[in-house]
Amino acid sequence: MSAPVVWILIPFLAGILILLFVPEKYSSIVGGTVAMILSLVALIFPIDTALLLGSLSIKISTSVEFFGRSFSLSTADGTLLAIVYGSAAFWFFGVYSPKAEKRFISLGLMIVALFTASIAVEPFLYAALLLEMAAMLVIPLLVPIYQKAGRGVVRFLIYQTLAMPFILFSGWMLAGVESSSGDFGTTVQSGAILGLGFAFLFGVFPLYNWIPMLMEEVSPYVTGFLLWSLSIFTTIFALGFLDRYTWIRTSPQLSSAIIYTGMIMAASAGIFAAMQKHIGRIMGYAAIFETGLVVLAMGLRSSNIVDIVFLLLIPRGLELVIWALAISIIKREVYSLRLSEVRGLARKYPIAVAALVTAHLSITGFPLLAGFPSRLALGQELAGYSLTISFWVFIGMFGLLIAAIRTLAVFVMADENAPWSVNESWVQISMLAIGVIGLFVIGIFPQVLKPFFVNLPSLFEHLGR
Amino acid sequence: MLILISSLLLFSTALVLMILRMMPTNARTAWLVAVGGGMLTLVSVFAWLTQMPFEFALPAWQPQALFVNPILFRADEISFPFALSISALTLAILLTAVARSALTNSFTWAGVLALGGLGLLAMTANNPFTLVLVWAALDITELLAQLRSVEGSAQNEKVVISFSTRVFGIGLLLWANIVSLASGSAFNFQSISPNAGLYLIAAAGLRLGVLPLHLPYSDESTLRRGFGTSFRLISAASSLVLLAHVPAGSLVSGLTPFMLVLAVIAALYSGWMWLRAPDELTGRPYWVIDLAALSVISALSGNSLGAVAWGCALILVGGSLFLSSIQHVWLNRVLLLGAWSLSSLPFSLTAGAWLGALGFFSPFVIVAQALLIAGFIRHALRPAGRDSLEDQPIWMRTMYLSGIVLLVAFQFLLGFIGWNGALQVGAWFHALAASLLTAGLVWATPRLHVLNPIRAHWVGSAASGVNNIYQNLWAVYRVLEGISQTIINTLEGESGIMWTLLFLILFISYLAQGTP
Repeated sequence: MSAPVVWILIPFLAGILILLFVPEKYSSIVGGTVAMILSLVALIFPIDTALLLGSLSIKISTSVEFFGRSFSLSTADGTLLAIVYGSAAFWFFGVYSPKAEKRFISLGLMIVALFTASIAVEPFLYAALLLEMAAMLVIPLLVPIYQKAGRGVVRFLIYQTLAMPFILFSGWMLAGVESSSGDFGTTVQSGAILGLGFAFLFGVFPLYNWIPMLMEEVSPYVTGFLLWSLSIFTTIFALGFLDRYTWIRTSPQLSSAIIYTGMIMAASAGIFAAMQKHIGRIMGYAAIFETGLVVLAMGLRSSNIVDIVFLLLIPRGLELVIWALAISIIKREVYSLRLSEVRGLARKYPIAVAALVTAHLSITGFPLLAGFPSRLALGQELAGYSLTISFWVFIGMFGLLIAAIRTLAVFVMADENAPWSVNESWVQISMLAIGVIGLFVIGIFPQVLKPFFVNLPSLFEHLGR
Repeated sequence: MLILISSLLLFSTALVLMILRMMPTNARTAWLVAVGGGMLTLVSVFAWLTQMPFEFALPAWQPQALFVNPILFRADEISFPFALSISALTLAILLTAVARSALTNSFTWAGVLALGGLGLLAMTANNPFTLVLVWAALDITELLAQLRSVEGSAQNEKVVISFSTRVFGIGLLLWANIVSLASGSAFNFQSISPNAGLYLIAAAGLRLGVLPLHLPYSDESTLRRGFGTSFRLISAASSLVLLAHVPAGSLVSGLTPFMLVLAVIAALYSGWMWLRAPDELTGRPYWVIDLAALSVISALSGNSLGAVAWGCALILVGGSLFLSSIQHVWLNRVLLLGAWSLSSLPFSLTAGAWLGALGFFSPFVIVAQALLIAGFIRHALRPAGRDSLEDQPIWMRTMYLSGIVLLVAFQFLLGFIGWNGALQVGAWFHALAASLLTAGLVWATPRLHVLNPIRAHWVGSAASGVNNIYQNLWAVYRVLEGISQTIINTLEGESGIMWTLLFLILFISYLAQGTP
């Protein structure tokens, strides 16, 4: 059996089968189990290495041909697949809203499969097409059937669709740049077009406005899943570009542009988050802030770039799933997620509120939590680059911290003698507790992620060398 | 390793208490276990003297290339007096708990022990990175404990605001890290960049409520004598220890006089409020700010030893006063010995406090110190509202009294052994002036109306007078909120896509001109 069949075809088919045959109430368990098994297989069975189980020899081959295109997953991809499907399992087990459950599980599995295909496809430029397909598959997840799409959904689709032609066109131009390295005009043009493509894909300032809009319009859990999955694969796709094209990697102008873009993204998201009155929108801006940090890290011409990027990405999955789950639990109680509506809810949903605030503080970079080690590492790298950029990133973190404090203050401002009670279900409590413990474990002992860091840098040939 | 042993003794005793709580054990057994753990810890801290200085490092964070500083603890002449004070305070709280049985239980004792353990780790942190982690643990613990104990939206809001100021202090310390690294220095207490020194003082000052002046601790409700004292004093001391590590070279800055002015104002104001507070627990936030301000002044005058001295006085002198809930004539007299410790007279605990260059600020500092001591004497002698030990068994009385006497004894002990501040003659003229002024204030207090204690309900309004400054910050926030909302509405509105594309084109045009 080949790796693309295991980690692309099987989850895609599993998604279809869940949609058609699995009853609503079991879909979360089935989908979560499928994702968990795929994650464990990626951890246990190295790709392209024969494994002897008694007399049985198992080997997962690397590639498969499909419509003339090759899909290939190497040994180094194993760690990444384990992280992706492990995180996806957490998202699927944590599904809260029964109405959206089945659709979310089945489409979610298909989306992850398509995203996985985007890192496996050769020539790698076709990844843009697969990312676009995944984006289109997100639409039925965001908009229930027979319901009109909101402005956020439309804008999301427009921006993701605009990204595709820019990236494909720049890919075509890049081939020319590689062959005639002295042509400065073409280099600048292809760089600008490529930058535009990724600007749409990452949702840099001000192209990220669809994120807070979505957080307000549709289920925060679904949007959270989209923000997690889209960012992780877009980042790997972008790192692929940096790895393949020497001139992108070595151009000081492009490096500066990337760093400034990340800085503006992080600072603006933090400032806007501080001024929000809707906890869903705050989560959206927090996700943008973190994407800004990823973009910034990619611009640093450091040998630690891959480690820093994955140190940012791995806890992100945990932070977003906890935050989204907590918001979904709270949303059951209130008409809207505006701060005025959720006042005093800490006494009614203490676990959900504690988890939400913990996740928020983690993204802010609060010490002891999972987000802290990555911010510390990035801060140290940035200190050697520019104190001004560090300052603006700090402003972003400060803004997010203000948002966290405002949120916490509103949640705990209960009336006199309001009783404490626990209204979350035991499944929700378990999921949130596991997540929060995970945030603390990664924050205090980031070395638990070391096994992942052994293989992840080998995903790229030149980066971090 | 001894650092780990001392901390683990406190943490493991706390764990044993939690386990005992789940079993049918009586409170006396739990109390004996708690006191046993506290005593062993105190002995183990004394044992540090045999090996000092020594270090203890936790396994380094991975990937190692990304994390320059290890989690490192060090026992030396700065951390030892603080550690001794904290372990003495922890034991004293447990010993005096016998007199507060109605309000305390093994859960509270476990909390006191765990806080003591965190306190020891904070005192021995050998780089700001380690200190940040311990600060965060202390802040989270305090936030949870406070939120559980207060009622009403206003009180809850105050808890969150006090948490936020301390977190901003953490942020400032992290910023100091960036500044130090940008200057090419490592970020540990031995080789910190002079550029980062003032940020360290600002970080500690912010957490303590000195720079700028504010009340970083919310009004307590049930957290009064035992647990509350532990929280207030250990939390404050964990910030004060940072001042002891500020490099002297970093004070050559144009900002230093301004910070001194702010610290002196904080010392004078809090000293005045402390003197006029209706009782010692109501005035406790001002006690903390006053001593913290004096520490900051010492550090800014180039005498980091003074910060250690005031930090130990905060814990030992303050601890003995705040734990005294019982009316006892001899105990009141013993408490008065704390005034000696605060006087900075030769061979006292704070004798080395004013070895730095105070210059123009010297008279103001003398007044602030006199207000502090006069307030202490007034509260130590004030009998109203205290319980009596008369109807308690003899062993309870003995335990309670030994708890208070322990703290007083350690004030004298640290005047003579264990650190660089011991056996100091110090700035005796300054100390004499402060003592004479104190005597004058004590004499004048019952005679002058202006020095009389203010009624309890006035204290809040006085504090809110200071906090009015911060209301203005809200106005700035509202303006910024309006601007950001306008930008967001424009970008998310009908014409948002066009505005977005326009911005993008402008950004690319700007970048195309060359390196920004």
